Amino acid sequence: MAKKNEVTRRQFLNYTLTGVGGFMAAGMLMPMVRFAIDPVLKEGTEQEMVPVMDVSEITKEPQRKKFKVDQVDGWYESEVEQSAWVYKDEKDEIVALSPVCKHLGCTVDWSSNAAYPDQFYCPCHGGRYTKDGVNVPGTPPLAPLDVYKMKVEKGKLYLGKPEPR
Amino acid sequence: MKWIASDIETYAKEKEYVDTIVVPLIPFGLENNLKGTVSAGEYISIISHELERQLRGRLLLLPPFTYLNSEPMEEKVKRLAEWHNEVIGNGASYVVYLTSDVEWKNAEDRLEDTLVWLPSIPLEHMDNEYKMETVSTQVKQVLQIVTKKWQNSPK
Repeated sequence: MAKKNEVTRRQFLNYTLTGVGGFMAAGMLMPMVRFAIDPVLKEGTEQEMVPVMDVSEITKEPQRKKFKVDQVDGWYESEVEQSAWVYKDEKDEIVALSPVCKHLGCTVDWSSNAAYPDQFYCPCHGGRYTKDGVNVPGTPPLAPLDVYKMKVEKGKLYLGKPEPR
Repeated sequence: MKWIASDIETYAKEKEYVDTIVVPLIPFGLENNLKGTVSAGEYISIISHELERQLRGRLLLLPPFTYLNSEPMEEKVKRLAEWHNEVIGNGASYVVYLTSDVEWKNAEDRLEDTLVWLPSIPLEHMDNEYKMETVSTQVKQVLQIVTKKWQNSPK
């Protein structure tokens, strides 16, 4: 009997104690490790894509589309309204431009100035951009308008972050 | 540009482009019509921030000019004139006051600058969509007032 059952009392106690001790240690360490590597586990803080409009609504003429994104500003979280100028270019490709002037950040408007139809016009300092968003030389802005990251899914246009060219 | 450090840095650098100052006029008082006072102030502060967002490159939004409801108009006009002198003395060409306090309307001719008076709309019961719509239509009209001023004397 003693030979068949090779686990002695001492061994048995050893095993159980290590086992229980191990669980306790793991219970304590796990949250600590989680805290330590928390930033890795967090989902990408990159802004998600937001549905903006139906693709079928997009015309050759730029349309101003508003959408809301969640913005975290320090500890203050808020919903911010953003807008984009959306149109189809000659090649029938969808273009979504940020309306923020590259000069000092005013909001540009499409062909709002009678003297410059078919251009984006900034009311602040007369900055102008052609339809593809390229700044007109001789006006204050020094860079073309930012372009939104985008994707089309199930007939809807999704916009992400505006990116400089 | 807002009255925050990062914007003021740009302002200091690009001062020649920023010639318009916006000052919200916001009353304060805890006695009667408390809620009305607060919501009128909140409304104006929302409008002025939205206006700043649209035209941020050419205007500087100052911290609000606040006053007690009971402060006599003479005093307020005098204090505001000092603000006017301060900003005009520092290179601004246009000053726009935004308020929904109807009392300023009576003193408009004593002010040296443009007073934009907007009737306050209680936004707190509106849903978000409608709220933004309302604010943006209101701001559009203020925008027109400001840009018209610019067109009359282009810089």
